[in-house]
Amino acid sequence: MSLNKESIQAEIKAKVIDIAAQTGDDASELGLDEIIPATGLIDSTGLLELIAWYEKTYQIPLTQEEINIDNLGTLARMAEFVLRKKGLL
Amino acid sequence: MATVIYVPRINNNDDEVKVLAFDVSIGDKIKAGQIVGQVETDKAVLDVMASSDGYVLGFVAQAEEVVRVGSIMLWLGESKDEVVPEVQNLTTGQAGSRTSLVTAKARILLEKNSLHADVIPPIDGRVTVEAIERYLATKGGVNAETKPVLAQSSVDVLPDVEGTQMNLTREEKGMAATVTWHRDFAVPGYIEIDYDLAPWAEYAKRFQDEKGLLMPPLLPLMAWRLVEIVQEMPRLNATVVGNKRFEYTPVNLGFTIQAGDALYLAVVRNAQGVDEFGFVNTLGDVLRRAAGHNLRESEASGATVGFSSMERWKVTRHIPILPPHTALMVAHAAGQGGRGVLGASYDHRVLNGGQVVAALKKLSSPKKN
Repeated sequence: MSLNKESIQAEIKAKVIDIAAQTGDDASELGLDEIIPATGLIDSTGLLELIAWYEKTYQIPLTQEEINIDNLGTLARMAEFVLRKKGLL
Repeated sequence: MATVIYVPRINNNDDEVKVLAFDVSIGDKIKAGQIVGQVETDKAVLDVMASSDGYVLGFVAQAEEVVRVGSIMLWLGESKDEVVPEVQNLTTGQAGSRTSLVTAKARILLEKNSLHADVIPPIDGRVTVEAIERYLATKGGVNAETKPVLAQSSVDVLPDVEGTQMNLTREEKGMAATVTWHRDFAVPGYIEIDYDLAPWAEYAKRFQDEKGLLMPPLLPLMAWRLVEIVQEMPRLNATVVGNKRFEYTPVNLGFTIQAGDALYLAVVRNAQGVDEFGFVNTLGDVLRRAAGHNLRESEASGATVGFSSMERWKVTRHIPILPPHTALMVAHAAGQGGRGVLGASYDHRVLNGGQVVAALKKLSSPKKN
């Protein structure tokens, strides 16, 4: 797994597209700085699946306090948060 | 004195689990809370933790072995050289092997019902009053050792059409067991009301913005409101065992979550003991673990009241099955044109339609502060 911001963003976007497809939505146009919950592309259950996948994939157990818009609201913020937690940013 | 770590229950309906691996070896010194191994069902893996400090004396279960919930997984001792006590059969059902993990109140209840602790599937490794009551409820409120439940007399037959028989997964068996409780014990009814979606939507949006939450909190907030209502109307938080109503002391809120092919009832125990924000956070943690197929033992069983939503599937009405030993399961669904339908399955032995409507009306809008 390559831990640079671009590759992490791409991986997360692919997962968002996969989750959105479960309810018939197309997230292929999702921008890096769009607030994911505000797009309506994935619902709360989908967000839970995304966060569970994110924790497991990047091996970063999250506290409830860390799960907020500032840290995880967009693809770019999610990628940056991985790098910050790993001490790479 | 040697103590044991028992095979834990992953969910309410699986009486067997597979031992995946051990993370410790014979002679290792371990601390309370340390992970000693993992067990799994088809969809969930659970870390097994030591409940006390000690040295690993020996294993009873083996990796890759399918074992009974509540059987002995491994022995711990106060010293490396301690001898494992002789127990004729180290699985569930043998006397004397679980005494230290039975609470005092549970011991009284066991004696009252002429039961031995080893027949009771433990909760988080302990035989508690709750564990015994659940066991009794599954037996129709009587001691199955002295009053056996009548055997099922009907036998299903294969359809007269060509096909292939498939084994049920553990999860499918669990669902079948839940549905069977609903059929055999509850007297189910269903009621729904129409309500205005706007007050809840506005309240949830404001709450999300104020707290900076990533997850839309609408459903957790509605579930919290249900916890409040249950405290005002204890009959909602009850079941019938034998010919008596049993009102639960804690409010253990079960919340359905679909994770891949698995449908979990994730449980927030003692929900009455936290405030609104605390509940939203706690439920978020539990649901996240369910989404990762990693629910803790105590989070996968013990619901006393339920909340279910099929909004994500745009379903406008659904009639949930009652989780075992509950009397109320709220059914939230997708709205249309600013109006929504809020329904509930209920056990008519415990609740009447008027009581359920009263509860749903309270739930149809946020609490007015």
